[in-house]
Amino acid sequence: MAGNQGQLGHTQHNRAQQPTSQTHPIRSKKIMDEDHDIDEDEYEFSRNYFLAKESGKSGKKSARKLSEINLVDEQDLRAEVSNIEPKHEKEIASLIDSYKSLYNEWLFELRYGFGLLLYGFGSKKTLIEDFASTALTEYSVIVVNGYLQSINLKQVAMAMAEVLWDQLKLQLRSASGSLPKSQQPFNSRSMDDLIAFLDGPHAPENECFVCLVIHNIDGPGLRDSESQHLLARIAACSHVRVVASIDHVNAPLLWDKKMVHVQFNWCWHHVPTFAPYKVEGVFHPLILAHGSASQSVKTATIVLQSLTPNAQSVFKVLAEHQLTHPDDEGMPIDVLFTSCRERFLVSSLVTLNSHLTEFKDHELVKMRRHSDGQDCLYIPLSKDALEKLVQEISQ
Amino acid sequence: MAPATSDEEAASLPHISDNDLKPFYVLHKASSSQQHVRKPVGRTSRKVKLNLSSSLAATDESQLLDDPLHNDSRMKIFHHAWVKIDSTIKDVLHNINADVFNEINSWVQKSFRAICSGGKLEIKKVTCSYPVVTDVTSNHIFTALVITSNIEFVDDLQTFADLGGHLHSHGCHVANLSSVDFSAKSGIGGCLRSLLRQILNGSTDAADISVLASWYMEHDNFKNPVVVIIEDMDRCSGSVLSDFILMLSEWVIKIPVILILGVATTLDAPKTVLSSKAVQHLSPSKFFLGHPADRLDAIIEAVLVKHCSGFLVGHKVAAFIRNCFLRQDGTLTSFVRAVKMAIVQHFLMEPLSFTVSGLLNEEVTETDEWPRQALDLPSCLRRLSEPKSEALLSGASKMKDVLNLWSSVVLCLHEAGKSQRITLLDLYDEALDPKLYNLRNSDYLELKPDSQRPSWNHGIHGQSLETHKGRLIGRMIRQIRKQTIRNNGNLDKGTKALNEKAAALITCMTRDHMQPIECIPFHEIVCFKNVDKLQAALLGDPRKRIQLDLLECNKFLKCSCCTKSHSVPISSMHDTALMYTLSQEHGNLINLHDWYQSFKAVISQKTVKDKHKSKVSPSPKKRKITAEPQNITEASAQARFCRAVTELQIAGLLRMPSKRRQDYVQRVAFGLTFYMTLPGSVVLNSEGVESRDVHNLLEI
Repeated sequence: MAGNQGQLGHTQHNRAQQPTSQTHPIRSKKIMDEDHDIDEDEYEFSRNYFLAKESGKSGKKSARKLSEINLVDEQDLRAEVSNIEPKHEKEIASLIDSYKSLYNEWLFELRYGFGLLLYGFGSKKTLIEDFASTALTEYSVIVVNGYLQSINLKQVAMAMAEVLWDQLKLQLRSASGSLPKSQQPFNSRSMDDLIAFLDGPHAPENECFVCLVIHNIDGPGLRDSESQHLLARIAACSHVRVVASIDHVNAPLLWDKKMVHVQFNWCWHHVPTFAPYKVEGVFHPLILAHGSASQSVKTATIVLQSLTPNAQSVFKVLAEHQLTHPDDEGMPIDVLFTSCRERFLVSSLVTLNSHLTEFKDHELVKMRRHSDGQDCLYIPLSKDALEKLVQEISQ
Repeated sequence: MAPATSDEEAASLPHISDNDLKPFYVLHKASSSQQHVRKPVGRTSRKVKLNLSSSLAATDESQLLDDPLHNDSRMKIFHHAWVKIDSTIKDVLHNINADVFNEINSWVQKSFRAICSGGKLEIKKVTCSYPVVTDVTSNHIFTALVITSNIEFVDDLQTFADLGGHLHSHGCHVANLSSVDFSAKSGIGGCLRSLLRQILNGSTDAADISVLASWYMEHDNFKNPVVVIIEDMDRCSGSVLSDFILMLSEWVIKIPVILILGVATTLDAPKTVLSSKAVQHLSPSKFFLGHPADRLDAIIEAVLVKHCSGFLVGHKVAAFIRNCFLRQDGTLTSFVRAVKMAIVQHFLMEPLSFTVSGLLNEEVTETDEWPRQALDLPSCLRRLSEPKSEALLSGASKMKDVLNLWSSVVLCLHEAGKSQRITLLDLYDEALDPKLYNLRNSDYLELKPDSQRPSWNHGIHGQSLETHKGRLIGRMIRQIRKQTIRNNGNLDKGTKALNEKAAALITCMTRDHMQPIECIPFHEIVCFKNVDKLQAALLGDPRKRIQLDLLECNKFLKCSCCTKSHSVPISSMHDTALMYTLSQEHGNLINLHDWYQSFKAVISQKTVKDKHKSKVSPSPKKRKITAEPQNITEASAQARFCRAVTELQIAGLLRMPSKRRQDYVQRVAFGLTFYMTLPGSVVLNSEGVESRDVHNLLEI
């Protein structure tokens, strides 16, 4: 299993510290003659990669526009998305059902210090929650929805500490009859304190876990390295067990060796469910609705029509410049000022600037630094959209 | 990319519950009634199993797996074996490091005495820095550079924790810090805070060194030095660490701090990481930890060759673990993890593993008997000629004898091979190989009457003897013989004869007594052989597997409607799988318009436009047209397209259109090769450019 070879196969950036033999695509033919399946894979990989690259560059690349499709209104589209008729419902249900025979195994691995990492295509949310509520009844379970945009891990740790505290109190009370000494409330404690509490050596004769279920540990809210380090520290605590799911093919890049081997201590399980990503996908923009030319033209027209005719004309000057100079980075302000003054649209830079402020506020115009250091203006619309817009306001 | 929907909008969707939109929630609390009773692991989940068992044929094995009594004893024995392995590994590592630790300890005490020779301070002066230090050399910090000679810092985490424990047991006040504490972000306050937390037992949150100074004067604290261990100096932020050292040097008279720095790279590391001013304040000594390869050999010897736990691994598993170590990960930690995972999988899969205790006991009693089911093991069916009941009775003790012989031979060979730098890792791998054993036997069998030959021919599986001769053990024996011949001239006859005898002895030993575990009857009970299972659990391969899920979804769904299509897109396929299959026809950029059109064409079962037609597609599609042409509205086609794109985006297989290329999405994965999924490896993105920028790669 020389995994790294694949990536080296097609690069010039060969790294000296790679322990494996470094193969070059040209040489890979020769290596294939030897009895290595890996090299064949590698050859296949580089071939695929270059084929894809080539077909992207060659002339047959299609230049069709999305705008050629008769796009449905965004709201209708959203309504339609939530009403998609499910396919293979029965098969998906029985596939998910078949994983139930693995619950025993998962629980065993969890108890002996491994973290469960479930991957494979399809939403694993229902599967994991079913596992948690049937097999993990002995332990408290806290669910983190990693697919959401932002998650406060300190609050999660606080909730975990509280649950663990309740659990320990119950245990101690039934064991010795004496109540432990009162604790400082958890919400005033620092993260280090919370982690130290979760990692505490309480009651070694009894196992006492809080199980942390993380849907999409690779989700947008947890994707930064700080969150991952925090999660890893929490996962390494003696009273914590983690069950997590990943969906992104590159998710393992989030972790270094310490996190993988020592802290999370993942035990991988491939459990494709093919269930729709209903909740996980809610926050993703729909590709046929987001930023489509017709939508932005519509809004831009409305804004422009509310402005004075002079302002509209200034915008038109900028638009025409952009259409006639498609490769330019933008129009320098002094050039715009000169051409506007020639057409008697503005008399001073102050008036022009007041128009420009108005445009910028509505995101009709943006500013960027030209390669020669000059500030210049451009309209953040594609060529088609801009043509359409100019047509609209000229009517 | 801003979320397109607001929370309210999402909440109005029927299939989403309140809990789904909370960042986190408590699913349930531990059920209090069962709380304090330690239960066998199988109990709760067996309920689940029972529900399923109606569909399963109740075989002997599944009965055995379900049997609560055996389940219980399996768990007990697993626990026993696990604890044993764990403690053995710890002992081994501790013994390896013992000498260095003692050396460091005596150095610490010596340094402490040197600092204290300056005399004790008055308590009043203690909380301000800089007493009158006239002597420049007196504000030096005694520093131990512990060279790990191992770039994998993860292997040394435990070593430094052990070192901390060792020094603590000798009275030192120890704080174990790591590069996490010396990050540029948390600055000097961060490391000071964790230092105080550890030494003062978390009673303060203030980042003030004077707190430490006054604490040090209390009670008997001043009788012992403060030792600060930084396990991975190379990874610390240079400026923060320099500041920390400068600060400590100001206080060194009042708080005799002794630094222990773990250095992975070179001895020059302090000079490259720290500022010159900070380096001036260090007075370094060097210590060397054992080489990681030696540690690995010691662990293999204690855990796997001497079978401390009654648990063993088969040849393929050993080869896999070896390959992981040599080619992929190279860390001791992952090696130990693999062994642990193997034992977990073994006890989960092998119903008879509850009988392992027969091997665990020091003394095997005659009453140790394996259950009747053991007779059905393949190794037993194949080989046993003696009466079955006898075999069961003596199985355990026999196996133990054979294993003991095997391990002594392996250890002898290791000893003999040390001069040729043969590692136990390689030797162990080879000694376990049943094919080679059969080959070795064949040498022996050649001297035997013809009647026994067929079994040999069967055994070697067509492998030639040449391969055997090139192997490690054969090479070793030849080497010993060669020594005899080469040294002919200058050695007396006695030595020559001795060498020859040694070579003969080794040959005889390997031939007669080195029977690999997989050649012994009943070995399935103690020996884990399922390498695929182990690999799947240790190294997930999401990059390949998720793509395969999509390309071969029928394998998992097992639906009747799509069975006939072999990766030919048809309308009944799962939408996302269909889209992914279609995307394979494009280059690294996919034109959304074309993609949508071909998707729509497939789902409405009309022939696809010519340029998207793959060579194989026409016939099955034409066949399909006759089925039932579906009436799909534009809106629903677009909705399905959008959802499939979103799902591919979640899986990380697509990159969304950029402002410049609004009509294209970018494909991210090409081919199925396993790569980029190794934790901590050098990362190359799809363009082959080295990048540690995870965000770039996870970009959606």
